[in-house]
Parts: sequence; C-alpha cells; structure tokens
Amino acid sequence: MSTDRIQDKSLKFDWFFIAVTLTLMTFGVFLVYSATVGEELAVYDTHWFRQIIYFLTGIAIAVGLVFVKIDWLKRAAVPSYVIALVLLLFVLIFAGDVKGAGRWIDLKVIKLQPSEFAKIAYLITISYWLSKHPVSLHKLKTFLVPLGLFIVPFLLVLKQPDLSTALVFTAVTLVGFFFAGLTFTDLFLIVSPVLSVLFSHSQSMVLQVLWGVLICLVVFSVLRRHLSKKLSGVIIATNILAGYASSMVWNMLEPHQQKRVNTFLDPMSDPLGDGYQVLQSLTAIGSGGIGGKGFGNGSQTNLSFLPEEHTDFIFSVLGEQFGFVGCAAVLVLFTLFLWRASSICKTNDDPFVTLVTMGACTIFLFHITVNIAMTIGLMPVTGLPLPFLSYGGSFALVCMFLVGLLMCLRYQGNK
Amino acid sequence: MYNDTSENEARVRRNWNVLIFLAGTVIVFTVILFKLFSLQYLHYEENFQRSENNRLRRIELIADRGYIYDRNGKVLVRNRPSYQIALQALEMPRKKAARDSIFKKLLNIRDAAGVRLFDSLSLDTAFQRIRWVRTRPVRILEDATMEQVAVIEEHSTELPGVSVIIESRREYPYGTLASHVLGYTSEISEEQLKLPEYESYSQGDRVGQKGLEQEYDKEFRGKNGLKLVEVNASGREVRTLTDVGGFIAPEPGLHMVSTIDLKLQKAAEAAIPDSAKGALVAIDPRNGEILAMVSSPRLDPNIFSLKRRERNKGWAHVALDSMRPLTNRAISGVYPPASIFKLVTSGAGLESGIISETKYYPKACTGGYQYGARYQRCWGVHGNLNVVHALRLSCDVYFYQAGLEIDMARINEFARRFGYGEQLLGVDIPGERAGWLPDSASFNRRNKRLGWRWARGLILNLSIGQGQMVTPLQQAVFIGSLATNKGVYRPHFMKELQDAEGNVVRRYEPEIIRPGTMKPETHRVLLNAMDSVVNHPGGTGKKGAVPGIRVGGKTGSGEWKKGQKTHAWFAAVAPLEDPQIAVAVIVEAGGGGGSVAAPIVHKVLMAFFGKEEEEQQ
Repeated sequence: MSTDRIQDKSLKFDWFFIAVTLTLMTFGVFLVYSATVGEELAVYDTHWFRQIIYFLTGIAIAVGLVFVKIDWLKRAAVPSYVIALVLLLFVLIFAGDVKGAGRWIDLKVIKLQPSEFAKIAYLITISYWLSKHPVSLHKLKTFLVPLGLFIVPFLLVLKQPDLSTALVFTAVTLVGFFFAGLTFTDLFLIVSPVLSVLFSHSQSMVLQVLWGVLICLVVFSVLRRHLSKKLSGVIIATNILAGYASSMVWNMLEPHQQKRVNTFLDPMSDPLGDGYQVLQSLTAIGSGGIGGKGFGNGSQTNLSFLPEEHTDFIFSVLGEQFGFVGCAAVLVLFTLFLWRASSICKTNDDPFVTLVTMGACTIFLFHITVNIAMTIGLMPVTGLPLPFLSYGGSFALVCMFLVGLLMCLRYQGNK
Repeated sequence: MYNDTSENEARVRRNWNVLIFLAGTVIVFTVILFKLFSLQYLHYEENFQRSENNRLRRIELIADRGYIYDRNGKVLVRNRPSYQIALQALEMPRKKAARDSIFKKLLNIRDAAGVRLFDSLSLDTAFQRIRWVRTRPVRILEDATMEQVAVIEEHSTELPGVSVIIESRREYPYGTLASHVLGYTSEISEEQLKLPEYESYSQGDRVGQKGLEQEYDKEFRGKNGLKLVEVNASGREVRTLTDVGGFIAPEPGLHMVSTIDLKLQKAAEAAIPDSAKGALVAIDPRNGEILAMVSSPRLDPNIFSLKRRERNKGWAHVALDSMRPLTNRAISGVYPPASIFKLVTSGAGLESGIISETKYYPKACTGGYQYGARYQRCWGVHGNLNVVHALRLSCDVYFYQAGLEIDMARINEFARRFGYGEQLLGVDIPGERAGWLPDSASFNRRNKRLGWRWARGLILNLSIGQGQMVTPLQQAVFIGSLATNKGVYRPHFMKELQDAEGNVVRRYEPEIIRPGTMKPETHRVLLNAMDSVVNHPGGTGKKGAVPGIRVGGKTGSGEWKKGQKTHAWFAAVAPLEDPQIAVAVIVEAGGGGGSVAAPIVHKVLMAFFGKEEEEQQ
C-alpha cells in the first residue's frame, strides 16, 4: 500500500461535495416549482413535490451505496452489463406496440428506462475492463474488447432511436480510453474523421479551409505519435475519404432530407419546429438580464408556452428569473461539483476507481453541456435533461446513483 | 500492467489527465458564459422588449377536407363553416380571481331570447381543462349561431382569452342517403390515438369514422399548415412572421369522385323503407364499381357535425336502437344465401358434366324428398324437371338429388370461383365480414363445442343455400360475374382522387380477384335459367322484369328461425346479353323473395335504364 494515501478519517466523506450536491438539488426543486406554479393540484400531485420525493429516494439509494465494497462493484460489472443488454433488447423487440413506448418498460407501478440503467452498467463494466487492460494505438488488439463492449449497447440505444443517449456512451468510452493509456493527440486522431464530416459537409468557404487545417493537424499528429505506417495511412485516408464522401452523400440527399439535417444542426432555420422552442428559450433567458426578473416572475410572460419548461428547458426558467448571476452561480456550482468528484481519483491508486470516477464526471459534464448549449441555441435540440435541475424521476435517480457511487469510491477507498 | 515500478509515473499521469479534464470543463463553461453574457447583457434590451410586448404564437392552419362526388360530379359530401367559441389558455389571466370573474361573466351571457349561452357544468370542465391544454383552444360552445357569435364579440373586451374560431365541418346535403358508405367525421378518440395507424394525428383532430371517410381519411384530410404570428398584450394578431419562414400554407385534401350514381342511389333508398331491415347493393360487374349501396335503417351523419349536446342525443338514439342502424348490413350482415345458391349448385354440376340441360332425376318433386329416415320438404309440388325448370321454379327436390351427386367439394370450388367464401372481397370501406362455405372439416371445427358432426344429409340443405353465410355484397358480385363470365372484379367505391385544381391524382385500377370463368356451355345454360326466372310467366322472379330489357335473376327465401318469416332475397343482372348492372337485395324477415325483394330490384333497374320517366309519361 502506498504511503501518501489520505489517512484523514474526516475525508471519508467529502462534506463539501455533499453540500454542493444538496444545493443544486434544492435549486432544482425551486425552479421546478416556479416553472409549474399555478397547477392548482393536490400537494402530493404537484411536480415540485414529486421532485422532492425523487430526490429523497435518490439520497436513500446514495447512502446505501456508500456501504458497497469496491470489490462487489467489480464483481457486479459483467452481470449488470448482461442484464442491461437484455433489457435494451427487450424494449427494442416490443417497441412500437404502443405509441412512444420504444424506450420504456412499463411495470404498471413504475416505468423503467433501460437506457438509463445501461449508462451505469456500461460505466462500471468498461471501467473494470480498462482497469486491467490499458489501451494503446501501438497495439490495436487492445481495442478489440472495449470497442465490442461499447458497440452493442451503442447500437441498441441508437436504434430506439435515442442519439443523444448513444453519444453519452461514446463520451464515456473516449474519456475511459484517455484514462487508460491514450494521449490527447490519440483521442484527437480517433475523433478526427467525425470532425472531417462536420467541416466538409457544408459549402461554406471558412469550413472548407478549416477542414484543410484539420487534415494538416492529423498528418502532424500521426507523425508525432510515431504510429505504424499502416495505421497512419488508414487514419489519413479515412479523414480524406470522410470529407469527400460526406459532401458526395450530402449532394445525393433529397432536399427535404438536407433540410432535416440542417434543422437538427441549426434549429433556428426552422422557426415553426424546434426553432420555435429555442427562440422562446433565447428570449426568456435574454430577458432575464443580469439580475433576473425575480423568483416566480418569469413564467407568466414567456415560458408558459415552452412545453418542456420544467424538464428540458429548465435552464431557461433559471435564466429568466435569476439572470446572468443565477446562471453563472449554477455553472460555478457544477464546476465545484466536478472538481470535488474528480479529486476522488487522488485518494486511490486503483485504476478502476479513476475510471469510474472520471466516467461518472463525463456523464454529468456531457448532460450539462448538451442541455445548456441547447437552451442557448448553440447545439441541436435533443432530449438530454440537466442534472439535479430538470424534473424527472428516472434521471434524478440515475444522478443520485452516480453520486452514491462517487461517495462509495471515496469512503471504501479510505477504510 | 500498472506494476510497482511505474506506479508513481502512472499517478503523475493520472493527475495531469484529471487536470486536463477540468480545464476542458472550464473552457466549455466559459463559452457558455460568453453566450449568456451576450444574451443577457449585450442584447438585453431587445430580448426584454420582445418578452414584454411581442409574443410569438404558433397557430395551426387546418387544411380543407376533400369533398366526395358521385360518378357524375354531384356533391355528396362537402364542408360548411362552423363557429366555435373557445378559451385560449395563453391569453387567460393566471390569477384565480380574474378567471373566476370571466367564468361568472360567461355564465351570465344570454341571447336575445334570454337563454344562457353556456351551462355551468361544461363551462367548469373547460376551465379545468385549460390548466393542462395550454397551446390549443378549448371549445366552450360548438357550432355557435351567428347571433351567439355576435353576443360574444360584443363583450370581447371584458373577456380576455375567449375567442371565436372558424372551423370547417362536414355537411351531408342528402342526409341519410348512402350514410353507411360515406361514414362521418368526429373528434379523434383516446383509443384511436393509441393505435399505430393514427400516429400522425393529435388530440382534437377531426377524423373520418366508418365508410369512405375512414378508409380514405389520409387522402381527405390533406396537410395542416402552420403560421408564426406576433400577438399584442391582449392576444390579437399583429403580424405573421412570413419573412423568417414562419408560414407554411395548408395543403387541402384530395377530392374523391366515387362510383356511386346519385340517381340510382336515390331510387334504391326510396325502394327500401326505413322501417325495414335490409340491404341493397348495385354493382357494375364489368369493373367492380359499386353504383349504389343501401343499408336500412339508416342514420344521418350530419348529427356528428352538430354541437356536443345535440350530437350526444343523436348518438344515443342510433347506438341504442334495437334495429342497429349503425351496422352496414350490405357488407357486415351475413345471411344464408338461400335459393340464389342453387345457381352455384347448378353451375358446379354443369361444369363437371354431372348434370346437363337434358338430364332429369329419377325422383320427381312430389312436395318432398325421402333421405334415409328424414323427409325433406319442398316449398311446392313441381313434378319432374331439368335444371332450367328447376331454377325457374326454385324446386328443392331437384337440387337435393343434384347436390348429393355433385358433392360439396365441387359446389364450394365453384362458389369460391365467383366470390363466395371466407376470403374478403376487399371493398374499400371498413367493416366487411367474411362469408362461410361449410364442408365436412370446417363444419366439424366450427361446431365442435356443440358436439355436432358432419353428415352427408347436410348436403341436402347446403345445396339449396341453407347453412352457408354470405353478405349482400357477395351476392351482387356473384350474380354479376356469373353473367359476364369474365372474372370477378374487386368491388370498390373510389373512382378517382383529384387535387384542389381538379387534376386527377390517382385512379382506381379495376382488379380481378377471383377467376370467375366457366365453360361457355355452362354459361349459356345458366343465363337461360336466369332469364326464365324473370321473364317466363311461371318464373319466381317475374316481378323483377323490366320492359324492353332482358333481366336475369334468382329469388331466395332464407330460413333463419322457426316460425319467423323468411329473409327475402333477390339478385338480378341486366341486360343479360351485355351485363351492365348487378343488384342484390335482402329484406330481413320480409317473406318470399319473389314477392318482396323482386319489386325493389325492379324499381332500381327501372331507374338505371331510364324507364321511370317513360312510365310516367
């Protein structure tokens, strides 16, 4: 055992981390309350009250998780992965029976969302594998198993279809690789073909030039990493092919298909569809100004016709009522949350702990970024909720499960 | 892999990586903060103004539903404007007290006669609903009169959130005429919304129910448009944001030219009184176009376009009626084919050579037939007959003997060839039911629970058409294709679909669904027999005759319950040398086919050949 392990018993619990989490949750309940005020329902039926119940349940789960040994987590990896796949297959096969049921298993009492469960199961499994088998671009065989582990749930979720959740899996995998041996440059090389597609699909001059720069960077990186000739060739060729093929495929698409892609990438080009929500969201956030309109004052003017205001567009409620100051405060809280969470790595030399911790951080960061960027018109409209703030039972429980996992890693690692 | 010697190195690397991750987080959050700063500080004024004064609304523009015409271009179904008084949740004050005052004002509004416009119960329900239905208007008065609209407009300033919406509703100018064929429209039900075929529909949509309205709903409804408008503080439209792509024009639905012949349909409707239960199908056997279809009793589809209270009253009336006016008996009613099926028995016999025009059976009709221990009666005493005579007089004894000799397999094969049987004909309105041609296997299967077993004696009943199940549509299709001998065409109502400008978008291609052919000799004998049923002085169907036209037909009197009058059947086709129309009529418990059903067919054929006018002259 190493000597510089933190022995201070008080750090078995990171009270600061817990405080930040609780603050964010409290904020969330208030925002949900404000977004749905005027429901005139019995208290136990209101959204804000239900959110409190979800959080309390989540806290109970998190506290329970603290007492789970790290070894048990490792042992649970493979079985939970298999169960997740079975559940995903189940919804895929029985999808379409009822409208919109492609993602849910309805147990009458509760609705299970297998893709949420799969996020956690996949995180533990990929971390378990990578902690024993680091990856390297110089030994391509090392990617076989992790990519296999990744591609199955990825495709199953993509088929639902739920692109944004599928991308969560991708992000977890990439960050996992990063902490299991790949360098930043390696990651760049892996992602570069996707960037090539994005840069070259449009006719814009600026993007075309950027694509040229990208290709140069790829060549430079390949040389710097001293990769095998074969792999270097493949990477460069893939990039060039991806670039040309994307513009060719693009030109082959029917105009209405092109329009659909464009609306996805730039919702504002369709003000009657997704753009309508983003337009309302931008107006709401912008009208909040620096200090905001004050708690409970926003919803009556603008947000009452954002249909998803208490779930996907909760950040707009925040922006309108608490202004720039409120938004910045929440972003700072999220930063503190991620900082305290990632510091768990330093308490334990087990690479499994590092991988699970950083994977969980990735899940949080991905949701935060994609959701906020959507509400301020920087990214496409997808259905990813904002951790701790958005209304929703399933996602609240997943968040609290991850928080419990993080607390467990710190507590068990310091015994 | 992470062994002791490299442990320290690995730890350093890990810490660096965590740092890179956190740095990435900070960069992403900074970008977000910049954008927020731009929105909330640099563009604050314009965003604030927009949120205060100009509010954007997305308004759905409902597409015009397509009309239905008869084959000569006469309108059978059209639209009429209908005024709805509705609550708009977004324009309503949020405070409970303010809402209550609007509620009270609405309750006190009276028309010139001093009658309240709204009743408190439905108004209360609507006020409950707008808490959830925020983006769509919630109707509080459907199909309002001009006077009621004027009263509301008068008070519009005191009633924020109460508005008048113009909708278009279906109108059926001929009332009950062809009501089972046309169907009706109503608001989509909760159950329908859950079905996969209604995936593209949303709550509040009006959707076709039954008949052509349901079958071709996707064609009729067109595509709704959308517009993005700016409204001022009191909820009135200021402008449409056309410049930024805020306007999608609705695409009107397609019009249908149907195969219905209005004149013939009217004659058919007049021939069957609403007090009788029955059905009539008139079809063009050369291509399957249905010229007229009646199911009696009828219902008036206009009741579904009325306001809720009256609609519910009308609905209760038709739904609870023991005569079951909602059923389209022409395609959903299954009956024994009765003596019309003797044409099948004859056809099968002639086709296989077991009987011929010159063959007589040893046992003459003496009023019955002894089979084993059983004595099967005939409806009369006919003596010794050949096939043409037997069909003309509809003698049972002849067919008892013929059926036993020909056997069920041949009879059923011939019947299926001309459209009978379990396979649907595939007519393009919903609700068609399958028929049934029993043989030993299917009879045992169906009656297993009752413990009945197939016996050869059953052939006696089946060969005279007692025991099978057919629909009136199948009877018309059968007799028509028997006369043409050119195949069975799929019966249909859709002739062509036209767009709003009148260009033909789709045309119905006639399709042969059963072979429907036989030997020329068989054809000749059967035509002869059908001719003599109507035109021979002793024929059972002579009341179906039309002067100057060679009509062929066959009567039927279906037994269905002991002690009750028989179902009266008559199926006819004309002119026999070049068939243009086939008609089948059933009057439930009407009595004999020749006396009750044949006169109805006579009236329809008179109208078809334009003889009515001559008669009156």
